[in-house]
Amino acid sequence: MNDDGLLEELPVTGAQPLRGWHPHHRLGLYALPVLAALVVASLLAVLEPNFYRTANLHVLMQQFAVLGLVTLGQLLVLLVGGIDLSVGAVMNASLIVIALMNQHHDHLAASLAACIALGVAVGLTNGLLVSLRDVPPFAATLGMTACVEGAILVYTKGVPAGNIPSSLRPVALSGVGIVPYSLIICIGIAAALVFVLRRGTFGRKIYAVGRSPEVARRVAISTTGIRVSAYVMCGALAALAGIILSAYVGYVDPKIGGDYNLKSIAAAVLGGVAFTGGEGGAVGALAGVLFLLVLLNVVTLSSLNPFTQLIVQGVVILVALSAFQFIKNRSAV
Amino acid sequence: MLMLAGAVVGTAIAMLVAVGVSSGARTKTPVVAFVSQGTSNSWAAQLDAVARKTAKRLGVKLLYFNGQGDATKQLPEIQRAIAQRPDAMVLVPLGQAADTGPVERAMAMGIKVILCDSKVNSNNYTSLVNPNPATATVPLAEWLAKKMHYKGNLLYIGGLPGNGTTILYDQGFKKVLKKYPNIHVVNGGNANYSISTAKQLTATAIASGKTFDGTWGVGGEAVTGILQAYVDSNVRPIPPNAGAAATNGSLRLAIENNVQAAMLQFPPADSKVCIETAVKAINGQKVPKSINISALPAYGNLYPPLKRYYKPQYSDDLYVGTDAVLNHSELAAIHLVK
Repeated sequence: MNDDGLLEELPVTGAQPLRGWHPHHRLGLYALPVLAALVVASLLAVLEPNFYRTANLHVLMQQFAVLGLVTLGQLLVLLVGGIDLSVGAVMNASLIVIALMNQHHDHLAASLAACIALGVAVGLTNGLLVSLRDVPPFAATLGMTACVEGAILVYTKGVPAGNIPSSLRPVALSGVGIVPYSLIICIGIAAALVFVLRRGTFGRKIYAVGRSPEVARRVAISTTGIRVSAYVMCGALAALAGIILSAYVGYVDPKIGGDYNLKSIAAAVLGGVAFTGGEGGAVGALAGVLFLLVLLNVVTLSSLNPFTQLIVQGVVILVALSAFQFIKNRSAV
Repeated sequence: MLMLAGAVVGTAIAMLVAVGVSSGARTKTPVVAFVSQGTSNSWAAQLDAVARKTAKRLGVKLLYFNGQGDATKQLPEIQRAIAQRPDAMVLVPLGQAADTGPVERAMAMGIKVILCDSKVNSNNYTSLVNPNPATATVPLAEWLAKKMHYKGNLLYIGGLPGNGTTILYDQGFKKVLKKYPNIHVVNGGNANYSISTAKQLTATAIASGKTFDGTWGVGGEAVTGILQAYVDSNVRPIPPNAGAAATNGSLRLAIENNVQAAMLQFPPADSKVCIETAVKAINGQKVPKSINISALPAYGNLYPPLKRYYKPQYSDDLYVGTDAVLNHSELAAIHLVK
């Protein structure tokens, strides 16, 4: 039994039924982004054979690991009906922490632990603001972004010091065959998340809170606890992504998290995750990541004019989202 | 009695005149409002430190306004600066259109306005001090074309689409490349002034299997990202590179990996010229309407051998030329000493 039957399982009274919500429809929705990614991959084999070069696949996997981890975190927050616009700031902060602690000759493990602790702290604050103070997630996490970025600037005076330790770099640059360690970490976490979301009680509670917090409360689910834990996990995953991206870039770039806020949201939505909460899964979200990165990769390989590249990316994403919404609406009728 | 009264009045008038003359002749401390890009990155930190030091050296009272790296946040700071009625305002415009009105208002109030590093949509200012990438990139692109023997693939990593500086960089580059049809420009995408993005784009381009005979990066971040991607991909030799801007980090990567590279300067140390120009204008000296930083010997393009510009004792974030103005302890104060 997966989360599809959750509401039917819960002793709900007075709950609004979800129209047309059947397991086979959900399966279709999850399969759609995966199918889309497979179709694109097949087309690429014919149209852009360079895509399948080992070196290109290796680069794609490196990039997938980073965006994949951030998107998995974003997925959890979106599932509980939230959104996290502070993931990019957490990634930036992770890089700064690693670089500064490296400059002070601190042990690498200590700096990694500090990064994760920072991500957890940011997530915890976000979660508490959203759950206990009813601050809209958009505002809470945007405010948190300003706090984290401001703290970085105050501490570094705008000039980040230090270097990325060379012992960290193999996490992103080396691996088993062409598969980087970072991807193995990402897939491992994704597999655990798939299991938790589909089989675990925690996963069911996440979907329940996302679909209807009121109903979840009536069946004695701690909506505060579930929301806070979703934000905490999102923060921790963003910090992990920041660590891996730092290892990949190998340079102190204080804006390393740049557009990961929007990219992670776009990937999750492309993968069938709903803004309204309670809808979507890890496999779909990762398919969305794959779709987005393949698109970016192909556009880069195509050597189109940079302005045209932006248009192509935008049009393809809009078409994909429209198609997804159309099929979703059809399946809900 | 009348004579006494006349003497008193005469003395009083004489004293008043004397006081008036002496106060007019007194050297008044010039007040310069410095509306900076503000706390945002290492470039801005160096710009501010150089401006502060120059103001101190020239005996100027510097009123600092922090633009926080954002045009919308900078706008009210400009208004606050004007309200102080300084003798001059040195503005680092973050919003070309948005800043135009306040600049014209300041000029109307008799405040000398020195635009530092960027323009506004008006010619109503005292002086514009900035590098001119449109002309400075021409010799760089020529240098790169020559290194490529005027043929082959050139990987282009762009800046921020629509950004004024990016447009100027592209103008010079395109002008030159038009002359060499055997050089095929491969668009790698826009890095948006991000090292991380530039690295990812370049890594993808390298992984495509295409070989590149030269690379061009818009912005120091793009150049650093390009070089870092080549270093990590183990492709050797790394093709010649040109672009901007010259940081200690991009120099280090080029030197360590034997890359033939040429770089344009977009030096934060040019705030020295901005403050000096403001003081000249306050003192009634004639100042040029436009000062092209790139044409000044200290801020010209850098060509190999690059070792003469690299400073191993300083961090990667040091821009070439900053250490000519700031001493070791001043550089340490802004985290630029290793």
